[in-house]
Amino acid sequence: MSVGNSPSPARMAIILTENHVDKLLPFSTLVSGAVAMGFEVHVFASFWGLDAFRKSSPSPHPPTSPGHGAAGAELESTLADRKVPSWKSMLSTAKGIGTLRIYACSQSMQLFHLTPADLDPIVDEVVGIATFIDRTRHAEASYFVG
Amino acid sequence: MVVDARGSWCPGPLMELVRVIQEEAVGTEFELLSSDEGSRKDIPLWIDKAGHQLLQITNEPGFDRFIIRKSHA
Repeated sequence: MSVGNSPSPARMAIILTENHVDKLLPFSTLVSGAVAMGFEVHVFASFWGLDAFRKSSPSPHPPTSPGHGAAGAELESTLADRKVPSWKSMLSTAKGIGTLRIYACSQSMQLFHLTPADLDPIVDEVVGIATFIDRTRHAEASYFVG
Repeated sequence: MVVDARGSWCPGPLMELVRVIQEEAVGTEFELLSSDEGSRKDIPLWIDKAGHQLLQITNEPGFDRFIIRKSHA
């Protein structure tokens, strides 16, 4: 989709290395907002960030990070009670309105003994870090979510 | 066309708006209802960037009402 007058869309690079809901929902919110604002978003999922994209990962909401005690439990129940959209459904919505490419880190695929068939089909491609760096060479914004 | 996004949190109302604007014809007017604080600035910002028209904003008790026209494909 095109937003604004720039001839080619701005690009955003995001590296994701976490799999708890308190990281994944801020991540999917960032992706959604960026796609809505016309950014082409490229995500590199590595380590636990790749684990989050397993077909077998908890759905709709994975657990919160440990160490937050009662606040973490309260967050989990609020997410369930208020029927907050899952991080993965937010990514699907973002793909429907703009450009979002999700890359699986090839090194993490080996570390976790994964094949592409183990991953949610929302993942587009398995790539090495050099390919990701090359595709986001001209990114106007880069984020690390870990 | 009414898009009732009340109760939906950021960026829900914006994503709803983007989706319906993509689907409907040029010239369609939308009434977007949102109770999300962030949307008060996000929605007008997006409409401006995307080049559509924000015809009216009304602050109702507990929510905001945006009247928007899709002005191009």
